[in-house]
Amino acid sequence: MAEASIEFKGSSFTLSVLHLKTSTLSDFRDDLKKKVAQAPDFFYLVPIVVDIERVDSSIDYQAVKLLVEEFKFTFVGFTGNVPKAQRKLIRALGFSFVNSANSAVSRTKKVQASTKAVKADEEIVAKVKQTQIIPQVSLFTDKIHRGQIRSGQQIYAKDQNLVIIGSVSAGAEVIADGNIHVYGSLRGRAIAGAKGHHQAQIYCQNLEAELVSINGNYWLSESMEQHWNSPAYIHLSDTELVSSKLI
Amino acid sequence: MARIIVVTSGKGGVGKTTSSAAIGIGLALKGHKVVLIDFDIGLRNLDLIMGCERRVVYDFVNVINGEATLNQALIKDKRVSSLSILPASQTRDKDALNKENVGKVLDDLAKRFDYIICDSPAGIEAGAMMALYYADEAIVTTNPEVSSVRDSDRILGMLASRSRRAELGLEPIKEHLLLTRYSPKRVEEGEMLSVEDVEDILAIPLLGVIPESQAVLKASNAGEPVILDTESDAGKAYQDVIDRLLGETVEFRFLVAEKKGILSRLFGG
Repeated sequence: MAEASIEFKGSSFTLSVLHLKTSTLSDFRDDLKKKVAQAPDFFYLVPIVVDIERVDSSIDYQAVKLLVEEFKFTFVGFTGNVPKAQRKLIRALGFSFVNSANSAVSRTKKVQASTKAVKADEEIVAKVKQTQIIPQVSLFTDKIHRGQIRSGQQIYAKDQNLVIIGSVSAGAEVIADGNIHVYGSLRGRAIAGAKGHHQAQIYCQNLEAELVSINGNYWLSESMEQHWNSPAYIHLSDTELVSSKLI
Repeated sequence: MARIIVVTSGKGGVGKTTSSAAIGIGLALKGHKVVLIDFDIGLRNLDLIMGCERRVVYDFVNVINGEATLNQALIKDKRVSSLSILPASQTRDKDALNKENVGKVLDDLAKRFDYIICDSPAGIEAGAMMALYYADEAIVTTNPEVSSVRDSDRILGMLASRSRRAELGLEPIKEHLLLTRYSPKRVEEGEMLSVEDVEDILAIPLLGVIPESQAVLKASNAGEPVILDTESDAGKAYQDVIDRLLGETVEFRFLVAEKKGILSRLFGG
């Protein structure tokens, strides 16, 4: 057998940790803005982990991520000494939970590093840890469209799931930050998890899509042979798209 | 209240003008007052199909610009007196029309006619948009092949978003599917999309299926709309379309290939 093209090795990095002290996102935003304004170059694309130990567990994690990204940080994940259930929820929402070496939460995780980008690193960590499929918890609301999506039309469900009661024609495009459900034929393009949501899925009653994409990983029609012309759903396993029979 | 019906397709050459002419004459023969408007400014065709090309003095653009009255521009059909034709201009282009003036002309026509049939140009540009903007109903003319179906799908999207009814949030345009140049034999051989395939993709009610027929070309060249050829399959199929437009339930014909009998095979029927 040829030598594997990749190799996992452990390595340590220094990451900046942003400690959240308030659940009021507008306050958080104001303070972050002031801080960044002092040294914009210094913070530019700095990988950052957000510590949520001191804030309410019902905080909007997606909003926190978007906020730090708005100020050009590279969001890595969440950290903090929080209950296991909350960590699980964070992971189920598609975010990495990073265990700090000096936090008492867990010292059993060994895979903590990677080769290049820290973000890629985190994805791999999440991947390796992800030995079983986490039941999907979605906090997205639904955008519901009744009727056909015609060729040339485009629908985007921002920060929402997209439900289409009808078919998506060839040449049409449906995009959602959450999941996409098509209660008809999917003949056009479907892009789920558009803002980067690993757990996003695409469901349809009849798979004849031109293109499906989840969190940046895409398939053209030729990859969908297995469930072509039948009810199917598409999800991500690690970074590979997988299609499965719907019922 | 007049019904404004646009005959549209997206793709060119699928039979919009042939269908407009047939539907116009068909409705007029049923006793309705009908006007046919050619929206294909610059590529005037409807007058040829209707056989009135030698009688065009003023046209749609003249009326829009106030250079002629409607009475001067409307051409009365010689076969059916309740049918009039408003021809397009051959010397101008599609920018000659604007929404406001087209609206005024349609308002005037609506006072005199029961049906206003708008023969749309191909494409999805200004000319086609103008033809569909004021429509109450749309007859989406489609050939059973993939590019025509996709273009029809695009036009259906436009009907739902760019028409006056869509802009004002009124009841949406009533859509009808008219499948033309249908050849059951080629469907059986797998060379052509079937009625079911097209219905499945476009998901709008089927108004009619016109079989591929030699009679259509002959009729067009003669300026005698094919619906007047009551012997031909295409003529009969358009007749059914008229009945369905008027609310009757008519069974679909010409959907299966004719089995040739031994005699017709011998004599090349």
